[in-house]
Amino acid sequence: MANTESLENIVLELRRGVIVLAALSQLGTEEYGYSLLKKLADLGLEVDQGTLYPLLRRLEAQGLLESDWKIEESRPRRYYVISAEGKKILTKLKKEWAGIVSVMDKMLA
Amino acid sequence: MNLIDRYVAEVGRRLLLVKGRKDIENELRSTLEDMLEERAQKSGKPADEVMQMELLKEYGAPAKVAETYNPNPYLIGPRIFPFFMFILKIVLAAVALGLGIATFIQIINLSPMSAVQLLETISKGILNIFSTSIAVFGNMALVFSLIERFAPIADFKMDEDKEWDPASLQKEPEPQEIKIWEPILAIVFTFIALSLFNFNPHLIGIYHLDEGEWKVIPLLSEAFFRWLPLLNIAWVAEIILNGMLLRTGKWTTSTRLISIGTKLFQVIILALLFAGPSILAVTPASLATGGITDPEAAQTLSQLAHTGMKIVLGLAIFGTVVDMIKSVYKMFTARATA
Repeated sequence: MANTESLENIVLELRRGVIVLAALSQLGTEEYGYSLLKKLADLGLEVDQGTLYPLLRRLEAQGLLESDWKIEESRPRRYYVISAEGKKILTKLKKEWAGIVSVMDKMLA
Repeated sequence: MNLIDRYVAEVGRRLLLVKGRKDIENELRSTLEDMLEERAQKSGKPADEVMQMELLKEYGAPAKVAETYNPNPYLIGPRIFPFFMFILKIVLAAVALGLGIATFIQIINLSPMSAVQLLETISKGILNIFSTSIAVFGNMALVFSLIERFAPIADFKMDEDKEWDPASLQKEPEPQEIKIWEPILAIVFTFIALSLFNFNPHLIGIYHLDEGEWKVIPLLSEAFFRWLPLLNIAWVAEIILNGMLLRTGKWTTSTRLISIGTKLFQVIILALLFAGPSILAVTPASLATGGITDPEAAQTLSQLAHTGMKIVLGLAIFGTVVDMIKSVYKMFTARATA
Protein backbone atom coordinates (compact mmCIF):
# COMPACT_ATOMS: atom_id res chain seq x y z
CA MET A 1 0.00 0.00 0.00
CA ALA A 2 2.75 2.40 1.01
CA ASN A 3 4.67 1.36 -2.06
CA THR A 4 1.89 2.20 -4.50
CA GLU A 5 1.59 5.54 -2.77
CA SER A 6 5.26 6.38 -3.14
CA LEU A 7 5.16 5.14 -6.75
CA GLU A 8 2.26 7.49 -7.44
CA ASN A 9 4.11 10.38 -5.83
CA ILE A 10 7.24 9.76 -7.88
CA VAL A 11 5.24 9.54 -11.12
CA LEU A 12 3.48 12.77 -10.17
CA GLU A 13 6.80 14.50 -9.57
CA LEU A 14 8.15 13.24 -12.90
CA ARG A 15 5.11 14.53 -14.76
CA ARG A 16 5.12 17.85 -12.98
CA GLY A 17 8.61 18.47 -14.30
CA VAL A 18 7.54 18.12 -17.92
CA ILE A 19 4.29 20.09 -17.78
CA VAL A 20 5.97 23.45 -18.39
CA LEU A 21 7.77 22.08 -21.43
CA ALA A 22 4.58 20.40 -22.68
CA ALA A 23 2.48 23.55 -22.26
CA LEU A 24 5.04 25.84 -23.92
CA SER A 25 5.45 23.40 -26.81
CA GLN A 26 1.70 23.34 -27.48
CA LEU A 27 1.10 27.09 -27.26
CA GLY A 28 2.59 27.99 -30.65
CA THR A 29 -1.04 28.60 -31.53
CA GLU A 30 -3.53 30.24 -29.20
CA GLU A 31 -5.33 28.00 -26.75
CA TYR A 32 -7.55 28.67 -23.79
CA GLY A 33 -7.03 26.74 -20.60
CA TYR A 34 -9.54 23.99 -21.18
CA SER A 35 -8.68 23.50 -24.84
CA LEU A 36 -5.00 23.16 -23.94
CA LEU A 37 -5.90 20.66 -21.25
CA LYS A 38 -7.79 18.56 -23.81
CA LYS A 39 -5.04 18.95 -26.38
CA LEU A 40 -2.46 17.64 -23.91
CA ALA A 41 -4.78 14.81 -22.91
CA ASP A 42 -5.35 13.86 -26.54
CA LEU A 43 -1.58 13.69 -26.99
CA GLY A 44 -1.39 11.39 -23.97
CA LEU A 45 -0.47 13.75 -21.14
CA GLU A 46 -3.20 13.97 -18.53
CA VAL A 47 -2.76 17.14 -16.48
CA ASP A 48 -4.82 18.16 -13.50
CA GLN A 49 -6.70 21.48 -13.97
CA GLY A 50 -5.50 22.57 -10.58
CA THR A 51 -1.98 22.27 -11.89
CA LEU A 52 -2.37 23.61 -15.40
CA TYR A 53 -4.33 26.85 -14.91
CA PRO A 54 -2.21 28.33 -12.15
CA LEU A 55 0.85 27.27 -14.16
CA LEU A 56 -0.38 29.22 -17.20
CA ARG A 57 -0.82 32.31 -15.04
CA ARG A 58 2.66 31.89 -13.60
CA LEU A 59 4.22 31.49 -17.05
CA GLU A 60 2.42 34.62 -18.16
CA ALA A 61 3.65 36.53 -15.14
CA GLN A 62 7.17 35.39 -16.06
CA GLY A 63 6.71 36.79 -19.55
CA LEU A 64 6.87 33.40 -21.30
CA LEU A 65 3.23 33.54 -22.37
CA GLU A 66 0.87 36.26 -23.51
CA SER A 67 -2.84 36.19 -22.93
CA ASP A 68 -5.94 37.88 -24.19
CA TRP A 69 -9.63 37.66 -23.40
CA LYS A 70 -11.80 36.87 -26.42
CA ILE A 71 -15.52 36.41 -26.62
CA GLU A 72 -16.48 33.24 -28.42
CA GLU A 73 -19.83 31.49 -28.54
CA SER A 74 -21.09 34.23 -26.20
CA ARG A 75 -18.52 33.17 -23.63
CA PRO A 76 -15.35 35.08 -22.72
CA ARG A 77 -12.26 32.93 -22.92
CA ARG A 78 -8.73 33.68 -22.01
CA TYR A 79 -6.38 32.69 -24.79
CA TYR A 80 -2.73 32.00 -24.15
CA VAL A 81 0.06 32.00 -26.72
CA ILE A 82 3.81 31.69 -26.39
CA SER A 83 5.74 35.00 -26.31
CA ALA A 84 9.02 35.81 -28.06
CA GLU A 85 10.80 35.28 -24.76
CA GLY A 86 8.95 32.00 -24.31
CA LYS A 87 10.10 30.80 -27.70
CA LYS A 88 13.73 31.41 -26.77
CA ILE A 89 13.27 29.52 -23.52
CA LEU A 90 11.46 26.70 -25.30
CA THR A 91 14.39 26.19 -27.67
CA LYS A 92 16.74 25.86 -24.73
CA LEU A 93 14.34 23.63 -22.83
CA LYS A 94 14.07 21.31 -25.82
CA LYS A 95 17.84 20.88 -25.86
CA GLU A 96 17.83 20.22 -22.12
CA TRP A 97 15.09 17.65 -22.58
CA ALA A 98 16.96 15.88 -25.38
CA GLY A 99 20.01 15.77 -23.11
CA ILE A 100 18.04 14.32 -20.21
CA VAL A 101 16.39 11.71 -22.43
CA SER A 102 19.67 10.54 -23.94
CA VAL A 103 21.35 10.35 -20.53
CA MET A 104 18.45 8.47 -18.98
CA ASP A 105 18.20 6.13 -21.97
CA LYS A 106 21.82 5.21 -21.48
CA MET A 107 21.28 4.67 -17.77
CA LEU A 108 18.16 2.60 -18.14
CA ALA A 109 19.32 0.53 -21.12
CA MET B 1 -27.05 32.82 -9.41
CA ASN B 2 -26.49 29.27 -10.58
CA LEU B 3 -24.28 26.69 -8.91
CA ILE B 4 -21.26 27.54 -11.03
CA ASP B 5 -21.52 31.22 -10.10
CA ARG B 6 -21.74 30.31 -6.46
CA TYR B 7 -18.81 27.97 -6.76
CA VAL B 8 -16.69 30.63 -8.49
CA ALA B 9 -17.65 33.14 -5.81
CA GLU B 10 -16.61 30.63 -3.13
CA VAL B 11 -13.21 30.21 -4.75
CA GLY B 12 -12.85 33.99 -5.18
CA ARG B 13 -13.70 34.57 -1.55
CA ARG B 14 -10.60 32.60 -0.67
CA LEU B 15 -8.40 34.63 -2.99
CA LEU B 16 -9.18 38.06 -1.60
CA LEU B 17 -5.57 39.07 -1.31
CA VAL B 18 -4.39 37.46 -4.54
CA LYS B 19 -3.58 39.69 -7.48
CA GLY B 20 -5.84 39.18 -10.50
CA ARG B 21 -8.64 37.59 -8.51
CA LYS B 22 -11.37 38.76 -10.91
CA ASP B 23 -9.37 37.35 -13.79
CA ILE B 24 -9.02 34.01 -12.05
CA GLU B 25 -12.75 33.96 -11.35
CA ASN B 26 -13.63 34.72 -14.98
CA GLU B 27 -11.24 32.10 -16.28
CA LEU B 28 -12.57 29.52 -13.86
CA ARG B 29 -16.18 30.29 -14.82
CA SER B 30 -15.39 30.06 -18.51
CA THR B 31 -13.59 26.75 -18.01
CA LEU B 32 -16.42 25.27 -15.96
CA GLU B 33 -18.97 26.34 -18.54
CA ASP B 34 -16.90 24.77 -21.29
CA MET B 35 -16.66 21.53 -19.36
CA LEU B 36 -20.37 21.55 -18.60
CA GLU B 37 -21.24 22.15 -22.22
CA GLU B 38 -19.02 19.30 -23.29
CA ARG B 39 -20.67 16.96 -20.82
CA ALA B 40 -24.11 18.02 -22.00
CA GLN B 41 -23.14 17.31 -25.60
CA LYS B 42 -21.73 13.91 -24.71
CA SER B 43 -24.79 12.83 -22.78
CA GLY B 44 -27.10 14.30 -25.42
CA LYS B 45 -29.26 16.28 -23.01
CA PRO B 46 -29.15 19.90 -21.82
CA ALA B 47 -27.04 20.71 -18.80
CA ASP B 48 -28.96 20.51 -15.56
CA GLU B 49 -28.25 20.96 -11.91
CA VAL B 50 -27.28 17.31 -11.41
CA MET B 51 -24.69 17.63 -14.13
CA GLN B 52 -23.37 20.83 -12.57
CA MET B 53 -23.09 19.10 -9.22
CA GLU B 54 -21.15 16.20 -10.70
CA LEU B 55 -18.81 18.59 -12.48
CA LEU B 56 -18.16 20.72 -9.42
CA LYS B 57 -17.62 17.64 -7.28
CA GLU B 58 -14.97 16.45 -9.71
CA TYR B 59 -13.38 19.88 -9.98
CA GLY B 60 -12.83 19.86 -6.25
CA ALA B 61 -13.57 21.80 -3.08
CA PRO B 62 -13.37 25.59 -3.52
CA ALA B 63 -10.73 25.82 -0.82
CA LYS B 64 -8.55 23.33 -2.66
CA VAL B 65 -8.99 25.07 -5.99
CA ALA B 66 -8.22 28.45 -4.43
CA GLU B 67 -5.11 26.99 -2.87
CA THR B 68 -3.64 26.14 -6.28
CA TYR B 69 -3.92 29.81 -7.31
CA ASN B 70 -2.52 31.15 -4.09
CA PRO B 71 1.14 31.83 -4.68
CA ASN B 72 1.64 32.70 -1.07
CA PRO B 73 -0.08 30.39 1.37
CA TYR B 74 1.94 31.69 4.32
CA LEU B 75 0.97 34.28 6.85
CA ILE B 76 4.66 34.87 7.38
CA GLY B 77 6.72 33.09 4.75
CA PRO B 78 10.10 31.38 5.05
CA ARG B 79 11.91 34.42 3.69
CA ILE B 80 11.02 36.76 6.49
CA PHE B 81 10.32 34.19 9.21
CA PRO B 82 13.87 34.20 10.62
CA PHE B 83 13.77 38.01 10.71
CA PHE B 84 10.38 37.84 12.43
CA MET B 85 11.72 35.47 15.07
CA PHE B 86 14.78 37.65 15.62
CA ILE B 87 12.74 40.81 16.18
CA LEU B 88 10.13 38.94 18.23
CA LYS B 89 12.74 37.64 20.65
CA ILE B 90 14.22 41.09 21.15
CA VAL B 91 10.84 42.75 21.61
CA LEU B 92 9.57 40.07 24.01
CA ALA B 93 12.78 40.28 26.02
CA ALA B 94 12.40 44.06 26.18
CA VAL B 95 8.76 43.70 27.27
CA ALA B 96 9.65 41.21 29.98
CA LEU B 97 12.53 43.34 31.15
CA GLY B 98 10.62 46.63 31.05
CA LEU B 99 7.60 45.29 32.91
CA GLY B 100 9.90 43.43 35.30
CA ILE B 101 11.61 46.71 36.15
CA ALA B 102 8.23 48.42 36.46
CA THR B 103 7.11 45.75 38.93
CA PHE B 104 10.36 46.11 40.81
CA ILE B 105 9.91 49.88 41.05
CA GLN B 106 6.34 49.39 42.20
CA ILE B 107 7.51 47.10 44.96
CA ILE B 108 10.03 49.68 46.08
CA ASN B 109 7.40 52.43 45.97
CA LEU B 110 4.91 50.46 48.01
CA SER B 111 7.47 49.21 50.52
CA PRO B 112 7.17 48.41 53.31
CA MET B 113 4.50 45.90 52.31
CA SER B 114 3.12 42.68 53.71
CA ALA B 115 4.05 39.30 52.25
CA VAL B 116 0.57 39.04 50.72
CA GLN B 117 0.91 42.44 49.10
CA LEU B 118 4.32 41.49 47.78
CA LEU B 119 3.05 38.22 46.29
CA GLU B 120 0.10 40.03 44.81
CA THR B 121 2.28 42.67 43.17
CA ILE B 122 4.66 40.05 41.76
CA SER B 123 1.88 37.85 40.37
CA LYS B 124 0.22 40.90 38.85
CA GLY B 125 3.54 41.78 37.25
CA ILE B 126 3.92 38.29 35.80
CA LEU B 127 0.36 38.29 34.46
CA ASN B 128 1.00 41.69 32.96
CA ILE B 129 4.13 40.39 31.20
CA PHE B 130 2.12 37.46 29.82
CA SER B 131 -0.79 39.47 28.49
CA THR B 132 1.46 42.17 27.03
CA SER B 133 3.66 39.53 25.39
CA ILE B 134 0.61 37.97 23.73
CA ALA B 135 -0.55 41.38 22.49
CA VAL B 136 2.94 42.16 21.21
CA PHE B 137 3.11 38.80 19.44
CA GLY B 138 -0.25 39.46 17.77
CA ASN B 139 0.71 42.93 16.63
CA MET B 140 4.05 41.78 15.30
CA ALA B 141 2.44 38.89 13.44
CA LEU B 142 0.04 41.40 11.91
CA VAL B 143 2.83 43.75 10.83
CA PHE B 144 4.91 40.91 9.39
CA SER B 145 1.98 39.38 7.55
CA LEU B 146 1.48 42.79 5.91
CA ILE B 147 5.17 42.90 5.02
CA GLU B 148 4.84 39.37 3.63
CA ARG B 149 2.01 40.48 1.38
CA PHE B 150 3.06 43.92 0.28
CA ALA B 151 6.85 44.11 0.40
CA PRO B 152 8.67 42.83 -2.69
CA ILE B 153 10.27 39.45 -2.06
CA ALA B 154 13.57 40.76 -3.40
CA ASP B 155 13.92 42.90 -0.28
CA PHE B 156 14.36 39.80 1.82
CA LYS B 157 17.13 37.69 0.45
CA MET B 158 17.50 34.28 1.95
CA ASP B 159 20.90 33.17 3.07
CA GLU B 160 21.18 30.75 0.18
CA ASP B 161 20.71 33.61 -2.28
CA LYS B 162 24.09 34.94 -1.33
CA GLU B 163 27.16 33.29 -2.67
CA TRP B 164 28.47 31.15 0.12
CA ASP B 165 32.13 30.51 0.66
CA PRO B 166 32.99 27.30 2.55
CA ALA B 167 36.30 28.94 3.48
CA SER B 168 34.33 31.04 5.97
CA LEU B 169 34.07 27.89 8.10
CA GLN B 170 37.82 27.76 8.55
CA LYS B 171 38.26 31.23 10.01
CA GLU B 172 38.31 31.19 13.79
CA PRO B 173 36.39 34.09 15.22
CA GLU B 174 38.12 36.24 17.83
CA PRO B 175 37.11 35.00 21.26
CA GLN B 176 34.21 37.23 22.25
CA GLU B 177 33.08 35.16 25.20
CA ILE B 178 32.21 36.90 28.40
CA LYS B 179 32.30 35.65 31.95
CA ILE B 180 28.80 34.92 33.12
CA TRP B 181 29.13 36.75 36.45
CA GLU B 182 30.08 40.05 34.82
CA PRO B 183 26.68 40.91 33.38
CA ILE B 184 24.94 39.50 36.47
CA LEU B 185 26.95 41.76 38.76
CA ALA B 186 26.39 44.70 36.43
CA ILE B 187 22.63 44.12 36.46
CA VAL B 188 22.46 43.73 40.24
CA PHE B 189 24.48 46.87 40.90
CA THR B 190 22.60 48.89 38.33
CA PHE B 191 19.32 47.87 39.97
CA ILE B 192 20.71 48.90 43.33
CA ALA B 193 21.79 52.25 41.88
CA LEU B 194 18.37 52.72 40.28
CA SER B 195 16.49 52.04 43.48
CA LEU B 196 18.89 53.97 45.69
CA PHE B 197 19.14 57.18 43.69
CA ASN B 198 15.50 57.25 42.66
CA PHE B 199 13.67 56.08 45.72
CA ASN B 200 16.00 56.45 48.65
CA PRO B 201 18.24 59.44 47.93
CA HIS B 202 18.12 60.37 51.63
CA LEU B 203 20.33 57.36 52.35
CA ILE B 204 23.20 58.79 50.32
CA GLY B 205 25.30 60.94 52.58
CA ILE B 206 27.95 61.15 55.19
CA TYR B 207 27.00 59.22 58.31
CA HIS B 208 28.13 60.41 61.68
CA LEU B 209 27.26 59.74 65.29
CA ASP B 210 25.65 62.68 66.99
CA GLU B 211 24.93 62.10 70.66
CA GLY B 212 24.58 58.37 70.16
CA GLU B 213 22.35 58.75 67.10
CA TRP B 214 23.29 58.24 63.45
CA LYS B 215 22.86 61.40 61.42
CA VAL B 216 23.24 61.83 57.70
CA ILE B 217 24.58 64.85 55.88
CA PRO B 218 23.15 64.83 52.35
CA LEU B 219 25.95 64.31 49.88
CA LEU B 220 24.32 65.07 46.55
CA SER B 221 23.02 68.45 45.44
CA GLU B 222 20.04 69.49 43.32
CA ALA B 223 22.46 69.73 40.39
CA PHE B 224 22.85 65.96 40.54
CA PHE B 225 19.16 65.12 40.80
CA ARG B 226 18.36 67.34 37.82
CA TRP B 227 20.26 64.86 35.65
CA LEU B 228 18.77 61.78 37.30
CA PRO B 229 16.27 61.09 34.48
CA LEU B 230 19.17 60.89 32.01
CA LEU B 231 21.10 58.65 34.38
CA ASN B 232 18.05 56.39 34.66
CA ILE B 233 17.96 55.98 30.88
CA ALA B 234 21.66 55.10 30.89
CA TRP B 235 21.11 52.56 33.67
CA VAL B 236 18.15 50.94 31.98
CA ALA B 237 20.21 50.72 28.77
CA GLU B 238 22.99 49.12 30.81
CA ILE B 239 20.56 46.54 32.20
CA ILE B 240 19.18 45.74 28.74
CA LEU B 241 22.69 45.40 27.35
CA ASN B 242 23.78 43.07 30.14
CA GLY B 243 20.59 41.07 29.77
CA MET B 244 21.43 40.56 26.10
CA LEU B 245 25.00 39.59 26.97
CA LEU B 246 23.71 37.11 29.50
CA ARG B 247 21.52 35.55 26.84
CA THR B 248 24.06 35.36 24.02
CA GLY B 249 27.03 34.58 26.27
CA LYS B 250 29.37 36.50 23.98
CA TRP B 251 29.84 39.84 22.33
CA THR B 252 28.16 40.32 19.00
CA THR B 253 28.10 43.27 16.63
CA SER B 254 24.71 44.39 17.92
CA THR B 255 25.66 44.22 21.59
CA ARG B 256 28.91 46.04 20.79
CA LEU B 257 26.96 48.78 19.05
CA ILE B 258 24.54 49.10 21.97
CA SER B 259 27.47 49.14 24.36
CA ILE B 260 29.19 51.91 22.37
CA GLY B 261 25.92 53.85 22.27
CA THR B 262 25.32 53.62 26.03
CA LYS B 263 28.93 54.59 26.74
CA LEU B 264 28.62 57.62 24.50
CA PHE B 265 25.45 58.54 26.36
CA GLN B 266 27.24 58.08 29.70
CA VAL B 267 30.08 60.34 28.56
CA ILE B 268 27.56 63.04 27.68
CA ILE B 269 25.92 62.79 31.12
CA LEU B 270 29.27 62.78 32.87
CA ALA B 271 30.30 65.85 30.87
CA LEU B 272 27.08 67.61 31.87
CA LEU B 273 27.73 66.76 35.53
CA PHE B 274 31.34 67.91 35.16
CA ALA B 275 30.54 71.22 33.49
CA GLY B 276 27.55 72.20 35.62
CA PRO B 277 27.41 73.31 39.24
CA SER B 278 28.89 70.88 41.71
CA ILE B 279 26.84 67.76 42.29
CA LEU B 280 28.00 67.64 45.88
CA ALA B 281 25.81 69.20 48.53
CA VAL B 282 28.76 69.52 50.90
CA THR B 283 29.19 73.05 52.26
CA PRO B 284 31.17 74.38 55.21
CA ALA B 285 27.83 74.82 56.98
CA SER B 286 26.75 71.23 56.42
CA LEU B 287 30.15 70.05 57.56
CA ALA B 288 29.76 72.11 60.70
CA THR B 289 26.61 70.23 61.57
CA GLY B 290 28.63 67.08 61.02
CA GLY B 291 30.99 68.03 63.79
CA ILE B 292 33.71 69.95 61.98
CA THR B 293 33.37 73.11 63.92
CA ASP B 294 36.58 74.87 62.85
CA PRO B 295 35.37 77.15 60.02
CA GLU B 296 38.71 77.14 58.23
CA ALA B 297 38.98 73.36 58.28
CA ALA B 298 35.38 73.07 57.07
CA GLN B 299 36.09 75.51 54.24
CA THR B 300 39.19 73.60 53.14
CA LEU B 301 37.48 70.23 53.39
CA SER B 302 34.49 71.40 51.39
CA GLN B 303 36.81 72.85 48.74
CA LEU B 304 38.71 69.57 48.62
CA ALA B 305 35.51 67.57 48.27
CA HIS B 306 34.29 69.64 45.31
CA THR B 307 37.66 69.53 43.56
CA GLY B 308 37.93 65.83 44.30
CA MET B 309 34.50 65.25 42.75
CA LYS B 310 35.54 67.10 39.59
CA ILE B 311 38.65 64.93 39.36
CA VAL B 312 36.57 61.77 39.82
CA LEU B 313 34.16 62.88 37.10
CA GLY B 314 37.06 63.78 34.80
CA LEU B 315 38.60 60.34 35.33
CA ALA B 316 35.22 58.69 34.73
CA ILE B 317 34.87 60.54 31.43
CA PHE B 318 38.37 59.52 30.41
CA GLY B 319 37.80 55.89 31.43
CA THR B 320 34.48 55.66 29.61
CA VAL B 321 35.97 57.16 26.44
CA VAL B 322 38.82 54.64 26.56
CA ASP B 323 36.29 51.83 27.07
CA MET B 324 34.29 53.09 24.14
CA ILE B 325 37.31 53.17 21.84
CA LYS B 326 38.22 49.64 22.96
CA SER B 327 34.69 48.47 22.11
CA VAL B 328 34.88 50.05 18.65
CA TYR B 329 38.24 48.41 18.05
CA LYS B 330 37.06 44.99 19.24
CA MET B 331 33.98 45.23 17.09
CA PHE B 332 36.01 45.88 13.99
CA THR B 333 38.65 43.23 14.66
CA ALA B 334 35.88 40.72 15.39
CA ARG B 335 34.18 41.66 12.14
CA ALA B 336 37.41 41.40 10.18
CA THR B 337 38.04 37.86 11.38
CA ALA B 338 34.42 36.66 11.27
